[in-house]
Amino acid sequence: MAALGRAALLLAFGLIAYALIAGSYAAWKRRRRLALSAQNALIAAFPATLVAAAVLFVALGRRDLTFAYVAQHTSHKLPLGYALSAFWGGQEGSLLLWLLILSGYAGLAVWLNRRSRDLVAWTVPVFALVASFFAFMLCFVSSPFNVAPAPADGAGMVPSLQNPYMLAHPPMLYLGYVGLTVPFAFAMGALLSGRTDERWIVATRRWTLAAWTFLGVGQLIGSHWAYVEIGWGGYYAWDPVENAALMPWLAATAFLHSVMIQEKRGMLKVWNMVLVALAFNLSLFGTFLTRSGVIDSIHSFSQSPIGGWFLGFLVLMVVLSVALIYWRLPLLRTKTRLESLVSREATFLYNNLLLVALCLTILWGVLYPVLSDAVRGETRSVSKPYYDFFLHTFGLPLLLLMGIGPLVAWRRASLRSLGKTFLIPFGFAVITGVVLLALGFGSSWPGLLTYTFSAFVVASIALEFVRGRAATGSVVRLIGRNRRRYGGYIVHAAVVLLAIGIAGSSAYQTVREQHLRPGQSIEAAGYTLTYRGSTDVRGANYTGFRALLSASGHGEHFNLDPGMNDYAIEGPSNEASIYHDPRSLGDVFTKAQLVKGNVIDLQVLVKPLVNLIWAAGFVFVLGALIAMWPDAVEQRRLAARYAAGAVPAGL
Amino acid sequence: MAAALAVFVVYTALAGNGVAQLKPSTLAGHGGDVTVVGAVVGKVTGDAYGRSGMRFQLRDIGSAGAARVPVVYRGSVPDLFKTGRDVVVEGTLRNGVFVAKPGSLITKCPSKYGPGKTTSST
Repeated sequence: MAALGRAALLLAFGLIAYALIAGSYAAWKRRRRLALSAQNALIAAFPATLVAAAVLFVALGRRDLTFAYVAQHTSHKLPLGYALSAFWGGQEGSLLLWLLILSGYAGLAVWLNRRSRDLVAWTVPVFALVASFFAFMLCFVSSPFNVAPAPADGAGMVPSLQNPYMLAHPPMLYLGYVGLTVPFAFAMGALLSGRTDERWIVATRRWTLAAWTFLGVGQLIGSHWAYVEIGWGGYYAWDPVENAALMPWLAATAFLHSVMIQEKRGMLKVWNMVLVALAFNLSLFGTFLTRSGVIDSIHSFSQSPIGGWFLGFLVLMVVLSVALIYWRLPLLRTKTRLESLVSREATFLYNNLLLVALCLTILWGVLYPVLSDAVRGETRSVSKPYYDFFLHTFGLPLLLLMGIGPLVAWRRASLRSLGKTFLIPFGFAVITGVVLLALGFGSSWPGLLTYTFSAFVVASIALEFVRGRAATGSVVRLIGRNRRRYGGYIVHAAVVLLAIGIAGSSAYQTVREQHLRPGQSIEAAGYTLTYRGSTDVRGANYTGFRALLSASGHGEHFNLDPGMNDYAIEGPSNEASIYHDPRSLGDVFTKAQLVKGNVIDLQVLVKPLVNLIWAAGFVFVLGALIAMWPDAVEQRRLAARYAAGAVPAGL
Repeated sequence: MAAALAVFVVYTALAGNGVAQLKPSTLAGHGGDVTVVGAVVGKVTGDAYGRSGMRFQLRDIGSAGAARVPVVYRGSVPDLFKTGRDVVVEGTLRNGVFVAKPGSLITKCPSKYGPGKTTSST
């Protein structure tokens, strides 16, 4: 069976290599039939890769330990779901997942846009260039189909990864990372073909939105997994591997906003090319980071020889992107200028600058150990205070801009009209801020500002809906008529929920730690937790204890049982116990370790509003789906703009 | 963008430039607060909540070299902490012993990309 997997991968590599070479030649020499042949080869690479993926899935499902990959990542006792999730649990499988998603995305995107011949002719070789790297790695450097004599049992999977969240978190991230290849390939295709109008943007808008949504949801799922499973009471640690997913998401967020300016006003063409290249290359950088071991992370990724390959490919893609943008600068320059610093375009531009500034300061933080080692000969790292400072400095104005942008007119806004428009949101925000200050929320200025700015954004979004409803008669009709705009507002509402959840659970969290004997109590933020005693627990591969706690506060009565499991092979594991308080939308998070006899060390973290972070995920997906949903009116408008049968099709 | 750059430069100038991140073999001679990244070797003794604290030794990750640094630590023991694990810990070297900050010990997440080990064939 391994031979079938290898053969399928070799076939995929052959097809992709043909698409690269024949496609480039055909696009250069304008050979239509050859270009079509290259296009078909790229599309055919997907079923070939699918066969290879199916072989690996079957081997994992059957625990066929003659596959070295299966033996390294599963065991006979591992439940089927987790055994299948080992597909993305190891390096070779992850590379195969990259190629599978990429070939699927590329085939579909090219097929949907097959009528935009000029654009697609050069897009096919760009897709093929990226795919050929992954196919080459899988065929000749890091194959999942290596075989060896079967051991008695496999190495299994780390307990913390045996969690339902791990079934979804990595594939979501991959769908996002790889999805950013689509706008990149079309953008580079546009540069190569000289068709630098808005076609490539229209063709890829929904692809970018989908990739961006997957990346956002993937990060939220990962954060929730860390929160409930790892037992440290947090959900984001500014770790390089976490930042690796955040950076392309920030760049893609900037891109999604700035393309609207190009569509509406024909501006920011160079900037959009830079952003799409930045987002794609940062997604490659993230993959390089997790495999090279060059930067220290709490994720213990092993140093792997494929890190060098990724670095080489990353450098190639960065050089290629910069060279193409530089080459086509004359075509990308526009005559349209920003008419006023107080206009919708200007607020989009400020939003972009802040997003990119945040993204680059995070990149600087991630690279700092490598740079300090190279310059000073000593590895130094930056930590939470550095990232928090820039999150406040750039993130808070970004939050405010989310409320300002929708209310400002295009081209130029007068101070008088601004005063009228801002009166209600501004008044609502000021009242919110003053009330919160009086209630003692001034203990954290970033927290207070987050809440105040959030009130401003909520009022501004509500105002837009109220005005729109007055014009159309119903909210459903309003959203249906302008899905992109109102879907965007719903996503903004999700960001507000996220901001409030993060501020509440970090700036206003209460942490208490105390040694307790049975019968003793600890108080935290109005909750009283009484330690009743401990009990032993035993599982198939661990022994442990649970501290039995009775808790009350804020009108709630509940029990918690934090403790530890001591796994025979893997070692001890904290088992946090969390109470979700429906009244405060916050959590009482507890963690216990045995000190001596029946005495425990109990940590209590009261995290107000933390559940808004997870609720934001659902609102985010809803808004993104609305914004992505095909719109017949928009399609007709685009058909009129790009006449002569060359309408690019979105997802 | 210029304003963002200015904020960045001012911050990095005023707030310093990070904490040194060292391997056990390069720790000697560093007196201030540092972060050490290493692998736990030998026996883990003592009590993390006791007066003398939990004691263990760290060696460079992936190295069989002789350089080891003794560590004393108090506070919460992180998930999966045991001999053989890679850890990150903050603290100060005092008289040849690395005195860790309470609660600063982190076990590196055993990676899904780590080299696999299978039980031997029968």
